[in-house]
Amino acid sequence: MKLLRSPLPAAATGVVLLCFGVGVASALAPRQEAPFPHEDHAGLFPVCAGCHQGVENGDVEAMYPAPSQCAGCHDGSDLRRVTWAGPSDRVSNVRFAHGDHALELSAAGDPVTSCVSCHADASVGRMAVTDATQLETCWGCHAHQRDDHFADTPAAECASCHVPLAESRFPIERIAALSAPADHDDPDFLASSHGVAVAGDGEGGTRGVDAAARCATCHTSDRCVACHVDPGLTEIGAIPAAPVDMDQPEWASAYPTPASHETISFQATHAPEGSSGTAECATCHTSNDCLSCHVEPAPGPVETLLSRSESRAPGVHLEVTPPETHASAFFLSSHSNLAAADPGTCAACHTDTYCAQCHDGPADGGYHPTSFVSQHAADAWGRSSECASCHSTAAFCRECHQESGLVSQGRLEAGYHDAEPLWLLRHGGAARQSLESCASCHQQNDCVQCHGVLGAYRISPHTADFDAEAAWAQSPRTCIACHTSNPLGGGG
Amino acid sequence: MNPRAVSGAPARSARVGVGALLVLAVIPIPGRAQTLGMRGWAGTTIQAVEMRPLAQVAGGCVEGEPCYLPAGEQLSLIGTQDVSLTAWGFGVEGLSATLYMRGRAGMGSDFVWPRSADHFDALLGYAQWIRSGWTVRLGRQEIRSGLGFASFDGASAGWRIGTWNVEGYGGRSLARGLRDPAYKALEGIEDFVPDQNVYLFGGSARGRVFGVTSTLRYQREILADRSGLAAERASFDAATTLPRVSLAGGIDWDFGRQQPGKGHLTASSPFGGGQWMASVTARRYVPYFSLSTIWGLFEPVAYHEAMARVGWSATTSLGLWASGGWRLYGDTETTTVLRALEDMGWRGEAGAAWSFSPMWTVDGSYRMEWGPGGYLSSGDGSLRWSPTDRYSLAVTGTAFQQIEQYRLGDGRAYGAGFTFDAGLTSRVTFVGGASVIRHSVEGDGVESPWNQARGWSTLRIAIGRDAGRANRMRR
Repeated sequence: MKLLRSPLPAAATGVVLLCFGVGVASALAPRQEAPFPHEDHAGLFPVCAGCHQGVENGDVEAMYPAPSQCAGCHDGSDLRRVTWAGPSDRVSNVRFAHGDHALELSAAGDPVTSCVSCHADASVGRMAVTDATQLETCWGCHAHQRDDHFADTPAAECASCHVPLAESRFPIERIAALSAPADHDDPDFLASSHGVAVAGDGEGGTRGVDAAARCATCHTSDRCVACHVDPGLTEIGAIPAAPVDMDQPEWASAYPTPASHETISFQATHAPEGSSGTAECATCHTSNDCLSCHVEPAPGPVETLLSRSESRAPGVHLEVTPPETHASAFFLSSHSNLAAADPGTCAACHTDTYCAQCHDGPADGGYHPTSFVSQHAADAWGRSSECASCHSTAAFCRECHQESGLVSQGRLEAGYHDAEPLWLLRHGGAARQSLESCASCHQQNDCVQCHGVLGAYRISPHTADFDAEAAWAQSPRTCIACHTSNPLGGGG
Repeated sequence: MNPRAVSGAPARSARVGVGALLVLAVIPIPGRAQTLGMRGWAGTTIQAVEMRPLAQVAGGCVEGEPCYLPAGEQLSLIGTQDVSLTAWGFGVEGLSATLYMRGRAGMGSDFVWPRSADHFDALLGYAQWIRSGWTVRLGRQEIRSGLGFASFDGASAGWRIGTWNVEGYGGRSLARGLRDPAYKALEGIEDFVPDQNVYLFGGSARGRVFGVTSTLRYQREILADRSGLAAERASFDAATTLPRVSLAGGIDWDFGRQQPGKGHLTASSPFGGGQWMASVTARRYVPYFSLSTIWGLFEPVAYHEAMARVGWSATTSLGLWASGGWRLYGDTETTTVLRALEDMGWRGEAGAAWSFSPMWTVDGSYRMEWGPGGYLSSGDGSLRWSPTDRYSLAVTGTAFQQIEQYRLGDGRAYGAGFTFDAGLTSRVTFVGGASVIRHSVEGDGVESPWNQARGWSTLRIAIGRDAGRANRMRR
């Protein structure tokens, strides 16, 4: 075996670093074989770098001696043959570089003087390398203040000691066994606080990418895009994606409802201001969610969202559910108020044809109860709903009443209003109370028979404060229907 | 039924329908056409109603006076075919076209059901373009607002900026509740209708300020020769949701009659942990008549009404509600003979619905209307069986007593029937029902005027994209 020949103190420093590095790596990585009996070889190898040259020059391949070097002595003749085939495949997420670490320690006023400083107990000699000693050495500086290892502030600098999970080559079992820091138990963690922390507004003052590095210790970006519909967030981009050969647990996508969505007015006010306002929506929603309510062609902001087929995450999968206002037992009779004040809100979910299905609907028993035809007289008189919203008084009401034998034809006669003696002398008040009901049977000429200037009685239908000039100015031909000429000019 | 009104209607409406189809036909579809999307439905309804029309007979009810008594039974059988389509993806972003057409026909009826002789209507037919805050429509459309419904053939344009919307529209006005100009649609069945087209113009501004959404609208209808107005009105409607109460209100002003029209203000609030909902409403109602008729010149009075409603729903399986209202009519300034006219009325309603198992729901309601012009006491109930989400069958019952508008009569009517709702596939539903009513006459009143039977069924097929949604959203 060739020995390293390099001048001191550089050689000494290298040896120190080598020993420390090998020790830490050994301690933190599971070993599959018995540890190398360093003490048995104490007289053979004068410096650590003789076998661990890579510690000095950073060459990963040279961190350990080649098996052929061992076989040079252990050839089965004088010394038993050894089967060591090289270091086992080390799986670790510890971030450590001997050279950098030595420089950091030197800068901190605690220069490393030998490998033994970290890898062995100084009192028993250079080659007394043990795992326990190494771990204690690391923890002397790097031990966390909590027993469970995790630092629970968002500012925890996991990345100072750990490489991202994507670089760790952890097997799926080990990924699944990673424990979660305490802040992950916050009920609002998924809905809001994890985003706040990553965005840099959280406790500790971390910002964006730095905070994302903490997430990257235990997560790949695959975990993010399992839920996030929009993968383009800067913070997600700062978390490395898993290599193609890395197996990861399957995560169930979860979309807790943010508090902002729970307000009564959310449904009416959720429209983002312009297309840029959809950034927050895009976290959980695909455009399919919008289109589950919005009708085509959809509002502009909808088009800025990814569709379900374009998104790796499933999105919330909204279903069409009526807003709370619709749940009221009185909504059917009162929805016109809301529709008149804010027709745009209705139009977000309903097309004109939807409204027309009822308001211009066929007689299929949809709106009125089945016995309504028999009972509608009292409703029609009281006008709890405006019949004319859907029906033409002349072409619908009167047409049916005519077929039913209710409509007078020709000269007016008594008989129908048989509950009121002297009906003709009393009908004026009833007419002014519900003139629409009169018009559902009578044509205008029925009234003109008595009220017109050519009529039998010439009874004025106007009240004392009737503004004849205004009426004439607005529709003179209507005045002429009774007066035959301009009443203001002496014609009536 | 006026034969003139009927005979001309199919041809006129057919022309409108053809025109609407042309709107679709001229929409450009370039070679690099986007994916054509379409959504709609078609519904076929058959309705049968047995009626007993009244006939005037001499000396039947009051000695020496003619009287109206029920004549023989007549059966009315009506078929209605509806087709509604909305299509998009014509190669121009934001462009869509909407058609809603209806065909109807009496099917050998003795009794002619209203409008069944008007065989075709293009209810809606317009092209719409929405882009960059603009909404433009061209064709047959309908404005639903605080002023009621206004249909017209013309154009409308709306512009949205932030939470504000402004809209303007105009075109040939169509008769209210119909789909033809008034001078055509009402020819022969209404006196004193305009002998020419009426043009409608209007505009609205809608916005949201301090959490209050409000709409201000102005609408004017003028005769084609500018010889007079048919209507000139404005409305203001507003709604807001505060932490514990929702408010909605509106009022309109009739410039023609120089007085306020309808108005309402409703305050609604949940309480009791959200299980209760209560609302109170102050309302004013006065009928609206076109200035081209003489009805408005008779100066109908308004009534003012106070209403209260309360609903309770502890779970999704049980709900109760009740409402009551009291209204007072304005002074009619008329002379009364013998005794004064009633000027106030009451109405009330209460009901409950209970799903006592996943498959069974029972509901019932009672309502009462008591005031000038009519009296009604009516109860309805049903028991619904829904073995699956797609099928249900209900038996219904009704009992009511009413005194009609200034008519004699007494007795009670009882009815029973059934309804069914079958989702045959995700796109096809079949609904229908039938009922029978029998009038129990007391004393020497008229003979069974309300005895009748009726039935109806509708086969509805959803067309195009997202047919499932269309089915779920059916009424």
